[in-house]
Amino acid sequence: MRYLRAALARIAGFFTGHRRDDDLRDELLSHLDMETAENIRRGMDPEAARRQALLASGGLTAGAEAVRDQRGLPWLESIAADIKYAFRALRHSPAFTTVVVLTLALGIGANTAIFSVVRAVLLKPLPHRDGDRLVYLRQSIDGPGGANVLFSVPEIRDFQSAPSLGGIAEYSPFFNTLQGEDGAVRIDVGLVTGNFFEVMGLSPVLGRLTLPSDDGTGAPPVMVLTHEFWIKRFGGDSGIVGKTVRMGGGPVTVIGVLQPAPFFPNRVDVFLNMVTSPHHLSALMVTGRTHRMTEMVARLAPGATVQQARTEVATVYARMQGQFKEAYDPGSHYRVAVIPFKEVLGERARLTLWLLMGAAAFVLIISAANVVNLTLMRGVRREHEMVVRAALGAGVARLRRLLLVENLLLTLLATGFGVLIAVGGVGLLTSLAARYSPRASEIRLDGVVFGFALGLSVVVALVMAFVASLPKEGGFASWISSGGQRMSGGLKKQRLQRGLVVAQIAVSVVLLAGAGLLTRTMIELSQVDTGLKTEDVLTMQVSLLNPARLVPAADAEAKLLYERMQQEIGALPGVTLVGLGSHIPLRSSQIEFDLKAEGKSLAVGEAMPHGDFRTASPEYFRAAGIPLLKGREFTSTDRAGTAKVVIVNQTLANRFFPGEDPLGKRIAWTGDVLRFTPISGEWRTIVGVVGNTQDGGLDAAPRSAVYLPFHQEFTMLGGLVIRADSNAKALAAAATRIVRGIAPAAPVENVLTVKQIKDQSVAPRRLNAALVSSFGLLALLIAAVGIAGVLAFSVSSRSNEIGIRMSLGADSGRVQRMILREGGVLLVMGLVLGVAGAYFAARVIRGLLFGVAPHDPVTFVGVAVMMAAIGVGACWIPALRAARIDPAITMRAQ
Amino acid sequence: MADKLDVKQGTLALMILKTLEVLGPLHGYGVARRIEETSKHRLTLNYGTLYPALLKLEQEGLVTAAWRQSENNRRAKYYSLTAAGRRQLAREAREWHQTADLIAAFLAPRRETP
Repeated sequence: MRYLRAALARIAGFFTGHRRDDDLRDELLSHLDMETAENIRRGMDPEAARRQALLASGGLTAGAEAVRDQRGLPWLESIAADIKYAFRALRHSPAFTTVVVLTLALGIGANTAIFSVVRAVLLKPLPHRDGDRLVYLRQSIDGPGGANVLFSVPEIRDFQSAPSLGGIAEYSPFFNTLQGEDGAVRIDVGLVTGNFFEVMGLSPVLGRLTLPSDDGTGAPPVMVLTHEFWIKRFGGDSGIVGKTVRMGGGPVTVIGVLQPAPFFPNRVDVFLNMVTSPHHLSALMVTGRTHRMTEMVARLAPGATVQQARTEVATVYARMQGQFKEAYDPGSHYRVAVIPFKEVLGERARLTLWLLMGAAAFVLIISAANVVNLTLMRGVRREHEMVVRAALGAGVARLRRLLLVENLLLTLLATGFGVLIAVGGVGLLTSLAARYSPRASEIRLDGVVFGFALGLSVVVALVMAFVASLPKEGGFASWISSGGQRMSGGLKKQRLQRGLVVAQIAVSVVLLAGAGLLTRTMIELSQVDTGLKTEDVLTMQVSLLNPARLVPAADAEAKLLYERMQQEIGALPGVTLVGLGSHIPLRSSQIEFDLKAEGKSLAVGEAMPHGDFRTASPEYFRAAGIPLLKGREFTSTDRAGTAKVVIVNQTLANRFFPGEDPLGKRIAWTGDVLRFTPISGEWRTIVGVVGNTQDGGLDAAPRSAVYLPFHQEFTMLGGLVIRADSNAKALAAAATRIVRGIAPAAPVENVLTVKQIKDQSVAPRRLNAALVSSFGLLALLIAAVGIAGVLAFSVSSRSNEIGIRMSLGADSGRVQRMILREGGVLLVMGLVLGVAGAYFAARVIRGLLFGVAPHDPVTFVGVAVMMAAIGVGACWIPALRAARIDPAITMRAQ
Repeated sequence: MADKLDVKQGTLALMILKTLEVLGPLHGYGVARRIEETSKHRLTLNYGTLYPALLKLEQEGLVTAAWRQSENNRRAKYYSLTAAGRRQLAREAREWHQTADLIAAFLAPRRETP
């Protein structure tokens, strides 16, 4: 009760305290008066009496302060006072405040935005139940396209014998068409077995997921929608479960909607049970060891570790390779990696994101260094103020707190702006991350991210408050007696300032070098020859055939439709030529088989050669601008029933026939997999050689490609290549309309000009380069401000010395050189450290570079020169000021 | 002069309450003088010690304060004991006696030979 009453009194005191200050003063003064009177009564003279009374009081102000502490909520009250004071102090130095808030806001904003991406893409636990128990298995071989060759059903069955793999979820990435009122769309499909979702640890948000009862040929076809597709395509319709949708292969019933979850390696729109693809249930698929079409994610058995799984998988795999030698050609180096699922989801994004996080952290470090430097200088100027405050009874802790509150105010302001910057920038970063990671949709600016920003600002504020000079507890007297006359700030502090400047320069050099390398990468990439001699080409992909049902009758029908499209689009004004093929150029065909050449046998240990399967009509190469290097193009006589002919690309010709004339030679598809396709393994005569095209991306090594006559083979995906005399982009709408008119149910995709395709490939690199470059330039600017500031401060604190030097005969040129030398030393130290740092940083980001060496001398020299030029420029201003010092004025000021 | 002692936290409140009980309503100066004299000047109270303690007692409802004319016609703030203050004083004094007896009993024996 007593304590409650006291607490209430104090809270009341917090609000009413200021009104009682007069009362308190009166009370203390009356005490003083009474004591003085008593002292006089004892015989002291009035002056001594009052002095004695004052001494005994321990200080009126200190006494009043102690009572105030007892009266209200002292910490709250004094913090309120501190905040009020801090606001006033900051308002009085608007330049300082603006610079600090702006630089910190940029640093904090960049870090916050990038942290939100890093967290979502790399750090956050997976949404899967016990997601850290999931591992991804990847089979790879040497050569282009060999990074992930998937698994065949027999291989997966074999891996089930590894005890540490508690369950294996398999899914075959596939595609299909979904019919809707507004035409058909091609969708990415995952064909799954009944246990898939159980193993993955995923739950439905609506309806149910597939079960073992959905396996087998007798089960009705069912579909599970991914959350994203459900929202995008069906607007989140909660009545979707139980409805029937029309797919390329027939009607399918929607049984449920999956919780949001990332998939790897590709996006998936819907999951279907195996019955929807007869091919996947055929004996060929189930028994063909080389028919690798399935992704594998396993759940570790209870107690098993990733390391155990690796060992066991390696053992099983070695046994498989020994038993089925024909399925694992030794030259290709078949291998299987076991990777935690969370890691594999982030693998494409990891390097880029850590690079950006590192760059942003660097920017924050140097902006914080700058702020610390500014604070130091301001702190020196404020030493006098601090001394006065100390003399009036403020303790070290109180002064420290005052500084901390001031700095917190600064950094919180900066955090406010920084969060605004992050909110604006996170969209851009999300679009960047979406190209690298399936988890980009999880990016959020949530409490954790804001907590991160707040944490950053508190750390920066603490650092800033503690570099300011305050005496040790108990050392006040000497501090006060020296009266704060020493305005130089002391040697130790100057060293700290200089160290910070050197660090700023070094970090700027590292960032600029990274920016330079990435910019050169981007430029190199955009100058890569696509292999197409013109950019006025529009491509579009129109799939008429259901890939699961490739039958000759359907193919013949489709070819007629493609020819009608070719004719009608060809008649559009501005169109010069239309080519047809199985695929469009500059896109991976994703159909590749082993190849053999007549009379050539593989050397021991030589990797099995592969080639991309593509078909082309006679006009295809001319329409696409792919140069014919040798021989002839296809003609209208290359059709069903005539001699089998092929055109190969340069890479393939070099691979099989180095130094020979490939024309007239014969090659054939080979391998077990052909049995599963409508493509024959008979010998085909090479009639032409064409240039390489960058089908695997601008930065990928060219792949071997074999073109077959469009009219001799199945059309597969179906691609149109439309050559325009100018502005191919303008044709897109008209061409799409024609295609829709001829084949309303066919999905139309990739309606892009060659220029757009190229841009898509360069864009993420450009964004990367732009981000790091802007960080680099920001760093450069901050470092320039830093070096100029420190020198200016040095000049103003040395103006006496300079005045003496000049009055003793030093001319202004000499003084100027002296200051320049002072800055030059810092600059050189920073440059040396920076170049060394950049050397190591460049090695780390090697994987992001293309067409430029990590230690590209042009970049390094360029960056060093740029930094040196800016640095000297920044030194020049304070040096000039020093040279203009008038000795008479400075001497008189003493 | 005897050694100066620091006023132990908590004991000052007790001294103030006792002073007010003995002398009746009194101003801060009077309280300070009385405590200093009673302690034979081993204790000195500066404002920063005395007035927060008085205020704390007031907040706890153990004393009340009011401005009055002093005996030699000055205005001064007089503190007086409340009923709660008297009870608190009695309780604390009892506890102090018990504690002091206990400590004294503990410290009294000389080293015993076993």
